[in-house]
Amino acid sequence: MATAHSGKAAIGAHMQTPAAVQMLTLLGLIAVWESIGRTEILFPDLFPSLAAILESLWICLTTPVLLPHLKASLYEVGGALLLASLSGIPLGILWGSRRSWLEVVEPLILYAAVVPKIVIFPIFILFLGIDVHSKLAVGAFAAFFPISLLTIAGMREVKPVYVDVARSVGASAFQIATRVYLPAIAGQIFTGVRIGLGAAVTGALLAETKIAKAGLGFMIVEYYGQFRIADMYSLLLFIFILAALVNWGMKTLFSLMTPPSRTNQDAALFF
Amino acid sequence: MSESNRLMVWRFSLIFGAFVLTEASVRLGWISSFFLAAPSRAATVLWSELWNGKALLLTAITLYEIAAALTISTLFGLLAGFLLWRYRLIGTSYEMPLAALFSSPVILAYPVFLVTFGRSSAAVIALSSIFGLIPTIINTKSAFQNVNPILLEVGASMNLSGKQMFRHLMLPAVAPTIFGGFRLALTYILKSVLGLEYVAQVGGVGMWLSDAAFRFEVEEVYAGLGGTILLSILFLYLINRAQTLMRR
Repeated sequence: MATAHSGKAAIGAHMQTPAAVQMLTLLGLIAVWESIGRTEILFPDLFPSLAAILESLWICLTTPVLLPHLKASLYEVGGALLLASLSGIPLGILWGSRRSWLEVVEPLILYAAVVPKIVIFPIFILFLGIDVHSKLAVGAFAAFFPISLLTIAGMREVKPVYVDVARSVGASAFQIATRVYLPAIAGQIFTGVRIGLGAAVTGALLAETKIAKAGLGFMIVEYYGQFRIADMYSLLLFIFILAALVNWGMKTLFSLMTPPSRTNQDAALFF
Repeated sequence: MSESNRLMVWRFSLIFGAFVLTEASVRLGWISSFFLAAPSRAATVLWSELWNGKALLLTAITLYEIAAALTISTLFGLLAGFLLWRYRLIGTSYEMPLAALFSSPVILAYPVFLVTFGRSSAAVIALSSIFGLIPTIINTKSAFQNVNPILLEVGASMNLSGKQMFRHLMLPAVAPTIFGGFRLALTYILKSVLGLEYVAQVGGVGMWLSDAAFRFEVEEVYAGLGGTILLSILFLYLINRAQTLMRR
């Protein structure tokens, strides 16, 4: 009897962990989803069975249907992140290195950061056409702000004594930027790049849903247009999982490269 | 001249310089007016649309969507945040999934909302509410969680009832952090509403921009873009002012 009681208590304690609550919530959501789908009490066809979604995901992954679109999106997002890093980091260092420049420029960047980047898309279409480059530009524009602002935030934390020492031994401006500033602000830059990746994914794929010839966002809208709801959900699931995996990979890589005190975990909330 | 005025002059000079350069580029033919509208032309179109056209009505629609999404996210966010703080296990369990959901590209799921609510403002409001909801929940929970325990001990030593403690001690203590969440929520809702209006071609100012781009009316595209930027800046300015007033 005592053993049964202690067994129940152990199960009860096990159920009262965050992981158990998360698992129960997930199972509950699946059950609700399935019952709405099967009974069709709410929005018929909008809740396809989980099996249909997973089957569609499997077809997506094992056939070459997805590949050209995945390539187009990866090209846009990768290019966008590269372009945003190559412009955002040097400009962040430049603006952050002079207090007077920073005071003039920072409010302007903060105000510009609030504007939804997707609305600039028609301008990029005018200049770059409807091919991949206009989406790459939207992604780069979206990623530029977190990268440059976090670089500036990192520059603010650099102790002036480091720069004074470098100057006193005759270091050039380029040497100060690469040998003093860059190592000191690496953590902030990595966080900026990681958040910039999220912004680039959203910007580029959202632009694809507007006008495109290829890409994952283009596929979402195609499926929506053909009312292939299970296929649309499977693709969304694929994008979410891919984005989470890349984000996790970057987070792990960057945390190995920098001490935890230098990363800014909460900054993600602001972009 | 005071330091802040000097900085303001510099900022306006920078913006004015950029406008002059763009105007000159178009007028002197360095850049074709097919790609770039002269700022003076775009401003004229925006002005005439504001007073004689549909821009005011479209702005009103956008403001209505923002207000509706903000109301929904504030009501549900405050309640959910409070409950997540009150029931610690649930709070701990849901905080990470909420943050993960927030950083995922949820906006790409907008076709789901178009199917559910139809191609209407309701779809924009529903999805934008989610963007406002998560920062409100997280900040509300964190605000209650970080109330200084000494305050509560002082309240208990003064024999305050639960209601009095909540009203006179906890509410003033949590207000600044909750306002921080409200500020974030408003920023995200603004971005989401304008972005969705443009992408899904529904609602207000964003739809105008999308329509103009579809018709290749370059000056109107730039006028719509100018209107969108001005609206975003106005909102951020008002939020910042409100925060400054609240700190006083």
